[in-house]
Amino acid sequence: MDKSKFLNQNIRNDFPILSKKILEKNNLIYFDTAASSQKPNTVINETNDFYQNHYSNVSRGVHTLSVESTFRYEDARKKVQKFINAKSENEIIFTKSATEGINLIAQTFYEKYMQKGDEVILSLMEHHSNLIPWFFLRDKYGVVIKFAKINQYGEIDYNHFESLFTDKTKIVSLTHLSNVFGTELDKKAIKICNDKKVPILLDGCQSAAHLKIDVQQLECDFFVFSGHKTYGPAGIGVLYGVEELLSEMPPYQGGGGMIGEVSLEGASYADLPAKYEAGTPPLVEAHGLGVAIDYMNNIGIEKIIAHETELTKYAFNKLNELDFVEMHGGENNRNSIISFNLKNVHSHEVSSFLDVEGIAIRAGHHCCQPLMKHLGVNSTARLSFGIYNTVDEVDKFIEALHKCKEFFNK
Amino acid sequence: MNDLINELYQEIILDHGREPRNFGECDPHNKSADGHNPLCGDNLKLTFLLNKDDIIEDIKFTGEGCAISLASASLMTEKLKGKKIDIAEEIFNDFTNLVSGTSEDLKVLSEEDSLYALKGVGGFPMRVKCATMAWHAFKSALKS
Repeated sequence: MDKSKFLNQNIRNDFPILSKKILEKNNLIYFDTAASSQKPNTVINETNDFYQNHYSNVSRGVHTLSVESTFRYEDARKKVQKFINAKSENEIIFTKSATEGINLIAQTFYEKYMQKGDEVILSLMEHHSNLIPWFFLRDKYGVVIKFAKINQYGEIDYNHFESLFTDKTKIVSLTHLSNVFGTELDKKAIKICNDKKVPILLDGCQSAAHLKIDVQQLECDFFVFSGHKTYGPAGIGVLYGVEELLSEMPPYQGGGGMIGEVSLEGASYADLPAKYEAGTPPLVEAHGLGVAIDYMNNIGIEKIIAHETELTKYAFNKLNELDFVEMHGGENNRNSIISFNLKNVHSHEVSSFLDVEGIAIRAGHHCCQPLMKHLGVNSTARLSFGIYNTVDEVDKFIEALHKCKEFFNK
Repeated sequence: MNDLINELYQEIILDHGREPRNFGECDPHNKSADGHNPLCGDNLKLTFLLNKDDIIEDIKFTGEGCAISLASASLMTEKLKGKKIDIAEEIFNDFTNLVSGTSEDLKVLSEEDSLYALKGVGGFPMRVKCATMAWHAFKSALKS
């Protein structure tokens, strides 16, 4: 263990919820950041400040508050643009969630570029958000979905992936960081798509707060992530798309804010990014996301990655030593997420047992039912880390896991 | 050990979770339904034979799930076997009240019932669905 890689523990003071006692006596140990991260003071305070001092609708009025709200909303867009290094602000669309982003792409991309019988490639380890929007296309329009196999390490079988392409393959959508294995997608998957000139969507729900994101360097065509998994508020998501595609694709929802001119006969649509932002957007949440991005940048993404990688390695090795634990996926290429099962104990039991010890982990199928079937399990327990987690917490978790095993195997 | 955990995982629950009774499929049966907890993936299939006097002659289940869902299904089949439908429905109502923490006005269940062991689920609101999955399957099987 390289202690120099860990972040200063003072960081924990930034998160008020970490001082909460579970059942009035146990310190909270929050290992469920992959489901949703906790929020730092700055995000909470700035969100309050927006409502208290600056709030109005965006891009509509000409009064002072409208200007202040619009400034904050658009400033958040600039922050997101820099955060993922998009070429232009026009490529940043605010949605309510990453899920909405994927639905938006599936629907509008189909409308512009696809027809019955065309093919989409996904992988076996996508979560439901990156499955169901494509199932809709299959059910409604007769689109064919192909699934890339994965290996025992929780990585895509890239040979199999490449073999799935035909001249009918129109789009690929893959998780950038698996929410079950914590494995990062290899750049060669994107290269294969680029070589074949098939657009690729990266689902960045798990990667946005845990990897350095540079969409130009990644050479992906679309990228989605959510605010609430990146230390920001829930209710805000980001869709990045290369300008050329977003310009050509039709609008998603109709309403205020996305129009050019409207008459009773019809309407013209606004330019990017407003074209895809019908209705009053989650403006305060967008601002909160911008603040969360500032917060992460102030710490430093590289430092965050180093901290989480070291902690994940430490926890993986500790768990892997236990003969009563079954691990999913391999040791390498693993970032901030570990899935496991206690032999002969259902993950629900593990989670309830740990809960009363103050430890929050996820139990269940992680919105990945097809993957669970592939692994031959009904559910798994999952640890996932954020910047606020510590070695000490992992040790307490391991200790509690021993007690748990003894309790259920007595 | 924490009281809440001991309350939740009483010996009888662990026992039925490990070795569910009436596990299998009724042959013959005239009522069946699938239970499913979409939040976690647990599932079961319930079958039973309702005779002409509206009595549950036999009742069994198969499936996979956590100790709470298996024990609840197992204890349910033990309790409902031989019961008339109207009584079974009252048991259903009592049980759902019991595990959701409103156990003051139970009509047919008492502390002596083995099902009462599931009362501890009330301390874990997210586990109530585990305990009621089999029961909701029973309700929907009645309509089948």
